[in-house]
Amino acid sequence: MSNSTLTRKQALAFAAPAFIAILPFFVACLYILRFSLSGEQGRIEGFSIDAYRNLMTPFFGRSVWLTLRLAFFATVIALMMAVPLAFLLTTLKRPVARRTLTVIILLPMILNLLVQAYGWILLLGPSGALNTVLRNLGIIDRPLFLLFNETGVLLGLIQTSLPLAVFPIVSAVRAISQEHLEAASSLGASNWRIFRDVTLPLLRPALLGAASICFAFNASAFAVPLLLGGRRVQMMGVAIRDMISPLFNWSGAAAAGMILIVMTLFLMIFSAWLVRLTTEKTKG
Amino acid sequence: MNSKFTRRGFLQTSAAAGAVLSAPAIARAGQNFSGKEIRLLTWSDNTGLAILENIAKPFEEKTGAKVIADRTGSTSEMVAKLRASGGRAQYDVITLAGVGAVELAGDGLLAQPDLNKLPNLTDVDPRFRTGADGHGIGYLLWTGGLIYNTKTFKEAPKSYAEMWDAQPGRLFMPPATWTDALDTVYATGKMLGGDGTNSDEAFAKLAELRRNILTFGENPGQLSELFRSDALDIGGVYAPAFFAKELANPEQSNMGATYDVDEGFFADLMYTIMPKSKPGEDDVVHAFINYTLDADVQGVMAEAVLNGPINQKAVMSDAAKASPFIIKPEQLSDKAVVHDKNFIADVREGWIQTYQQTLS
Amino acid sequence: MRVGLLPAQGGSYRWVMLTLATMGILISALPVAVVTLMSFSAAETSGFPPSEFSLRWYGEVARMFSNEDASSAQSVVDSTLTSLLVAVIVMMISTVVCVPLAYALARGERRIRAGMELLFTLPLVFPLVMLGIAFLLIAEGLAWELGIWRIIIPHIALVLPFVLRNCLSAMGGISVELEEAAISLGAPPLRAIWDIVVPLMKAGILAGLIFALIISFNEFTITFFMYTIDVSTLPIWMYSRTVSSLDPSTLALSVYIIAADVILILLVDKLIAGRANLF
Repeated sequence: MSNSTLTRKQALAFAAPAFIAILPFFVACLYILRFSLSGEQGRIEGFSIDAYRNLMTPFFGRSVWLTLRLAFFATVIALMMAVPLAFLLTTLKRPVARRTLTVIILLPMILNLLVQAYGWILLLGPSGALNTVLRNLGIIDRPLFLLFNETGVLLGLIQTSLPLAVFPIVSAVRAISQEHLEAASSLGASNWRIFRDVTLPLLRPALLGAASICFAFNASAFAVPLLLGGRRVQMMGVAIRDMISPLFNWSGAAAAGMILIVMTLFLMIFSAWLVRLTTEKTKG
Repeated sequence: MNSKFTRRGFLQTSAAAGAVLSAPAIARAGQNFSGKEIRLLTWSDNTGLAILENIAKPFEEKTGAKVIADRTGSTSEMVAKLRASGGRAQYDVITLAGVGAVELAGDGLLAQPDLNKLPNLTDVDPRFRTGADGHGIGYLLWTGGLIYNTKTFKEAPKSYAEMWDAQPGRLFMPPATWTDALDTVYATGKMLGGDGTNSDEAFAKLAELRRNILTFGENPGQLSELFRSDALDIGGVYAPAFFAKELANPEQSNMGATYDVDEGFFADLMYTIMPKSKPGEDDVVHAFINYTLDADVQGVMAEAVLNGPINQKAVMSDAAKASPFIIKPEQLSDKAVVHDKNFIADVREGWIQTYQQTLS
Repeated sequence: MRVGLLPAQGGSYRWVMLTLATMGILISALPVAVVTLMSFSAAETSGFPPSEFSLRWYGEVARMFSNEDASSAQSVVDSTLTSLLVAVIVMMISTVVCVPLAYALARGERRIRAGMELLFTLPLVFPLVMLGIAFLLIAEGLAWELGIWRIIIPHIALVLPFVLRNCLSAMGGISVELEEAAISLGAPPLRAIWDIVVPLMKAGILAGLIFALIISFNEFTITFFMYTIDVSTLPIWMYSRTVSSLDPSTLALSVYIIAADVILILLVDKLIAGRANLF
């Protein structure tokens, strides 16, 4: 069966402009791939897999594991907040309220991370507002270290990826037909029940899309671990930046970049497959 | 589509017209470069800003030339960008740290300045005249010492050993990729009685600090906020030059800095360089480089950014002469550690890795 | 009446949802709120919260704009104009290419769609620093006089994932029957798509547009490698002022940039949604 109103030719014609637009990026990808196989660190010359071989250290392995772990948790938490935010955004009736909320959610993408990190230090730093309040209340006598460690990085990753999660979900929430919800509601299903059995399954493709975009974004982050991790959290993005400058090991950076991209792709394909499996099961 | 905005072009012509009007004044100053342009690349931090104010502006007034400045990035970012753009240099003059000049000279991207066109060099301490195989002209001395909290330390600490007495979570260290990190290893080695190159010992000692470190000071702005809010006690090796404003006002900032430590302090010569394929004219560029070494300019710059002047006749204000944060040429002899560039090149990669792995 | 998503009453569900949403809002807004508050501080370098308020730093920023230094390559006015131009071109191109692609994917085979989605997510995965170097090396290798396009081309690649995702999500709820009905009534297929599908996609398109605009307008990392003395953007200009000191005038400047972004968002919103009232 074809559920398409397009012929194959038309479909190709529809897709062609986007491919032209993304072509320079793929050229850059191939360039990076070629660079990772270069025999020299600073320029492309000869072939060698030394760049990859040099990365096979326990230190780099830990960095890979840390990157995957932080990106995963940040994505899960961001999605947990994104869904209610999307509900709220679609429920708000007054345009002013809706627009304000939209802008608030977009803020982390707008403001220079350096300045945002400054804001976090004032709030959560060892002598920031939170620690001062807690200390004055006598709840703690040593400051809580919320920044310059994995907690700080996690917070920053959630913050920067939240807008990426919210908006695809908003579009999907808008598309949920009222009848579904009304039907479920008139059958007396509880809110949680509707959420679990009706809303979530309908949102699943959007959730998956949002998750993969967040994960990819988080896995390659470098400014957040640099500024909120105090450099003690060696995510791959930071390692790659260090290799580009000041170490000028560009082939190594390219190799690390390739490893990162292959891993992320693998995880994304795996999760897409997983979702297809579960949806097919529920249908069958 | 080409959309260069024409506004800049307009400003240039009007600047040139202005220069023509004031031509007699320029003629008296000796050199007249009105209508000529220099493209300068320098640091984005306050040291770069000081160059604009104290070097570029007076140079424009003196000669009529126009200095177009690009203030972006750290030395390593500049080098990465220049390397990637290969032959097509957009700049005439670049100020950067010694390591960067050596890297670029090694790539064959730099021209050798004609020393005969730089008369001010004769006043410069012979040790600091040129570098990077004659491709770099000395500029100022970047110096690193101990930074401390004036609330915690009533008197300046006397040794890097104080870092080991810091409370947990109140210590900062330089990031692994900075030269300051290599200096820290070196200082630790000396503290342990070695000559500084005893790195195995030093790293074993540094490992004890791991739990106490709050952050690696990648961003001086963050450090200054952490000191202000009394969250840090001490850290190093780090450059007081980042904190010129804070050090002038310790009541507000809680920040102090010292070079007077048993193991010595660290000095690194910064260079002015010119790319091979520079767009501007040779004479103007040389005049500009010569001007950076002028006795008055060196004095003013030293005071503005707390760097050490290399012109032995540098004219400094009394305040600058008295300032403990500015290293004068004569102070360099006894306690300054000036690394051999070859030594740094040898140990750099290994030390960076070990530093990272022991501490983070 | 709308049912379900956030009911006006109803125990734990509503409570949990609202708590999570509030946490999301706090995480997004808190640093900005703090920074905004600090920018009104009267003191030179005061603690938080500031004890006295003034507009002095805003005056400082205004001065920065009015007597700007002609000798600086990165003139703030030029940079702002370049940023705007780049962002608008990026926004238009990326949307124009993504809408048909999203349609083709949504109506095409599922397997192809999944593959394409992955392909178009790739620009997000690559560490930006690496991409920046690669683009610069390629551009310099080709030695073409690209002008403003040396920034636009990489930006388009960066925003495509966002624009496509948003368009695809919007397509998700549009059933084929609508177009088929139109076609069976005699409308040519392209016409049916333009008249029926595109208006229904509007919310997604708009979200995509806004993402493209904001990302391009604020992009720093790749631009850092690609800019030249003649073509430079606002974030580059901003960077040369924030990197070393975070004094209140920097914060005031940040507030100004936020305001510029908000105006842009509202403008796009008005222009696009004004006719359809979808956003």
